[in-house]
Amino acid sequence: MSENIIETSGLTRNYGDICALKPLELKVPEGEWLSVMGHSGSGKSTFMNLVGGLDRPSAGSLKVGGEDLLALTEDGLARFRRKFVGIIFQQHHMVPYLTAVENVMLAQYFHSVPDEAEARSALERVGLGHRLKNRPGELSGGEQQRVCIARAIINSPKLLLGDEPTGNLDHKSTVMIMELLKELRAEERFTVIMVTHNQEVAAWGDRTIYLDDGVLVREERMGEKQ
Amino acid sequence: MAIILKTIPHLLAWSVIVLVSFRGFTGRRSVVTLSSISGLIIGVSGSCILFRSFPGAIPFGIIKSILGLSFLLLWGVSVASGYSNAVRGEAFCRSKQFFQSSICAGTVTGIISMVAGAVSVCALPVTGISALSMVFLALSSALIAYFIVYAVRFIEKRLPESFMVSPLGMVVSVVSLLLFSSSSILRLDLFSPLSMKVMKGIHDFVHQFMESILIPDHLFVRPIVWKYIGFLFGNGVGFWGAMVIWFAPVFLIITAFLSERLPSVAHIRQGAQRRTLLAAAVTLRRCRLVMPLLSILIFAAAAYQSSYPSVEYWDPKPLAVTASQAGEIFIPKKGEINLEDGKLHKYLFKKGDKEARFFVLKGPAGQLTVDLDACAICKPDGYGQTEGTVICYYCKTLIPLETVGKPGGCNPVPVQFTEKADGVIIDAITLINSWGATVQATARVKEGGK
Amino acid sequence: MNKRRWLIHLVLRALAHRKGRTALLLAVLAMASSLATALGIVSFSMETRVAEEVRKYGANLIIIPESARLDIGSGGLNFGVVSDPAYLRQSLVEEALVKSGLKAEVSFHLRGALHMKNTDVIAEGVNFSDIRRLFPWWQLNGNWPAVGETVVGSDLALRMKLKAGDVVEMAGVDKKIQLRISGIVSSGGEEDDLLFMALPELQQALGLEGQLTLVRLMVTAGRDSLRQSALTLQRHVPTAKVNEVRQTARTSEGLLAKVKLLMLMVTAVVLVSAGSSVAGTMSTTVLERGKEIGLMKAMGGTRWEVMLIFCGEAAMLGVLGGFAGYLFGSVIAQFITKTVFAASAEFIPWFVFVSLGVSLFLALLGSVGPMISVFRLDPVRSLRGE
Repeated sequence: MSENIIETSGLTRNYGDICALKPLELKVPEGEWLSVMGHSGSGKSTFMNLVGGLDRPSAGSLKVGGEDLLALTEDGLARFRRKFVGIIFQQHHMVPYLTAVENVMLAQYFHSVPDEAEARSALERVGLGHRLKNRPGELSGGEQQRVCIARAIINSPKLLLGDEPTGNLDHKSTVMIMELLKELRAEERFTVIMVTHNQEVAAWGDRTIYLDDGVLVREERMGEKQ
Repeated sequence: MAIILKTIPHLLAWSVIVLVSFRGFTGRRSVVTLSSISGLIIGVSGSCILFRSFPGAIPFGIIKSILGLSFLLLWGVSVASGYSNAVRGEAFCRSKQFFQSSICAGTVTGIISMVAGAVSVCALPVTGISALSMVFLALSSALIAYFIVYAVRFIEKRLPESFMVSPLGMVVSVVSLLLFSSSSILRLDLFSPLSMKVMKGIHDFVHQFMESILIPDHLFVRPIVWKYIGFLFGNGVGFWGAMVIWFAPVFLIITAFLSERLPSVAHIRQGAQRRTLLAAAVTLRRCRLVMPLLSILIFAAAAYQSSYPSVEYWDPKPLAVTASQAGEIFIPKKGEINLEDGKLHKYLFKKGDKEARFFVLKGPAGQLTVDLDACAICKPDGYGQTEGTVICYYCKTLIPLETVGKPGGCNPVPVQFTEKADGVIIDAITLINSWGATVQATARVKEGGK
Repeated sequence: MNKRRWLIHLVLRALAHRKGRTALLLAVLAMASSLATALGIVSFSMETRVAEEVRKYGANLIIIPESARLDIGSGGLNFGVVSDPAYLRQSLVEEALVKSGLKAEVSFHLRGALHMKNTDVIAEGVNFSDIRRLFPWWQLNGNWPAVGETVVGSDLALRMKLKAGDVVEMAGVDKKIQLRISGIVSSGGEEDDLLFMALPELQQALGLEGQLTLVRLMVTAGRDSLRQSALTLQRHVPTAKVNEVRQTARTSEGLLAKVKLLMLMVTAVVLVSAGSSVAGTMSTTVLERGKEIGLMKAMGGTRWEVMLIFCGEAAMLGVLGGFAGYLFGSVIAQFITKTVFAASAEFIPWFVFVSLGVSLFLALLGSVGPMISVFRLDPVRSLRGE
């Protein structure tokens, strides 16, 4: 058994009086593909933000990659994110005035130094070698999402977080994106945590957890189901 | 009280030196602590002994030459750093290991603190110090050193990690701080003598050059060339030349840092790792540049202090005097001015449109001298008096009171006079002629002999 | 590509993306800094100029009739206030000079209006030999006049379309005179608007034989004794007034002060409004770009790093605006000095730093508020679009 990359105990997040995440116990072994399912408001995005170091828990302990996220300052969290985490969003979120290659270079810039050649080859890897100099407005949704994947993996993160990455895509693009992620994971061996409400997408993972109202209600492994 | 205040800048400079040493010799805290404290005490008491056993100018000369040596050392190190960077010598890396050893740390900080202590002592009126006050000085320096070193240790722990001092950065900052400390003491100052030397050197060179090769009416030397040669005789030449010599080592070291090649990362397959290494190297380089950049400021402050010394000179307004019918100027010993109080007394004599400035001074040996308020080589900017010396305002040369009255160099030009019981008598014609000849001669020097 | 160059690239891309807003901000910054620059250049160059003029003035004493108002200024400042024409008797002045024993270069002037081509021109009768001695800086295009000839000021020549070699006919009080123009004179001062002719000729033409309106003297004396000389001379010419020329130069100093004050107020207003408009524009920009900021933070940019990018944008705007402001400001300064002082402003290269400083200061000051919100912005909320 490999080591756990994420360990939580009693992880809680309150927004004022609303409890978005009830105390959660979870261990994710390194290299696993974990799907997080639940309808909107179930706390799955909250969970992802906490794990990605974008948000701070209200209580409990949270260790990602051996780092205690509660002990980090805000800038410390930022440094943690750039080294450790790659995030893919549902709405892509690209900087509108930068070309595809420059969007990837922005991630390199925050991580260390920009390197154009490397950014190009990363885009070629996700099959966008012909659209390097295009702005986000000139790219289709699937293409934008592939740029975001290239951007997320450019710094070789240990952890790749997807917040409904295929939520805005048609079936064909969804399959393409998931195939791409699977391929990349085989090469780079990062851990994937994918938040989704799509059963089909969740099925790409090794394990699926179901959240409802901030509580982990069910957990199933792909092998068990089949 | 004022005397204690005088040592504060020196002690401050020393505490920064100690801080730099702590960071420069990482992991040698106890050695650095010990050798800094003992170095300062040895420096203070050693220079006291020097002052007791040698008269006047000699101890200053010794300390000044040590400072000069340190500046030469800085030059050597900076040139070597540029060279070793160019050829990427391995010898430098081995010497780095030696640099981090505790023997090296101890000796280096000890010597530095000794020099710093000696310089601080020079700020005090120590000529002819008594044995008792010497002991007192040594004891109080021990106390002060103890407090300062522990205060610095306290501060050093709280400084960010990124403030790091490389060996080169340490050399440059220590030398700059020592020179800053010494520049406020007139007799230890290096920058003004340096600029004077540069000026004289250039003048001599051009003279030789002109006389041997470029005869003024030479066919090939057009007037425009003379204009450029004339630049070399401008006032600024000495100053700017000295500035170049003063700042060149720091800039050499900075360029050596900047031109240091980034580590080779081509063999690392993973892009993120490669970039992390590069970024770390760039950050390290930037951190190491901090000390040399600060040193530029310190060097500039030293040069400024030297050019505009904060020392106050005794410089009375020249008193107008007249000659008698017989053409004699009589200056009474007693009366409004006491000629024999050991201070400079300036007079101005006017005859028609000619005038001459001169001063009367009673030297430490007890004899009166009358001299022009000008020397044979400089522009006649006159002299001011400080403790034990007079200073030529133009070239900032210090002339010990003992030698005032003797001709030569930048000494004030002596004037013949007759001493009477109640005053001195000077011949007006001789005075005017002497002044005229001196001023004319120096004016010619200034215009480059053309 | 190293980090610094990438940052500049990023900033330029961001600015180019919002062309309209960038142009607006640049215009505001350029305007503010150009006004400040123009103010600086005008006061700087005119101050030296006024001082120079005082120094350059060949004459340092003037004698004017008691009842006449002085209408001299430097540059083109003609207040044209000539009250009751009053005159000095030439013989009286000459006598007084001899009696007072002053050593001085003297130049006699008579000023009066002549009718020419349906308008009046102001003619000045002088002895040209004196003029050449006392006003060596006059620039003459042509020759100094012989008998029956005249020189005209450059502005007047331009206005009346006269050139050297023309013959002009003018009517005085009694009779008509015909003069040939031998040259065009320019001095950069009020002389450019006058017509010069030999003193006796003008005296005849105006029927004022032996009368003068002004005597200029160049007394060779130190500063202190100039007043003394004036007093001595005053005693011998009780019917006239002896002034030091410094006094007359004050009028242009006063005008300069007023122009400076005006510009200072305008600049202050513009600076304040420019600062607030920069602040407003910047904060809308930051509001609009909330998602971008959130994204940068989510990617791992620390608060300081993200703020640096936005500060870089402000600084870039400041620098560009500063350069534009310097160029524009120099033009404004030139325009002001041309129209108000009838002189040309100096070209002062180091004012580019003043201009840059003003513009950078405004740009950074205006973005303090927006920068704080950039600093504080929460990535999760902004990415969610809140």
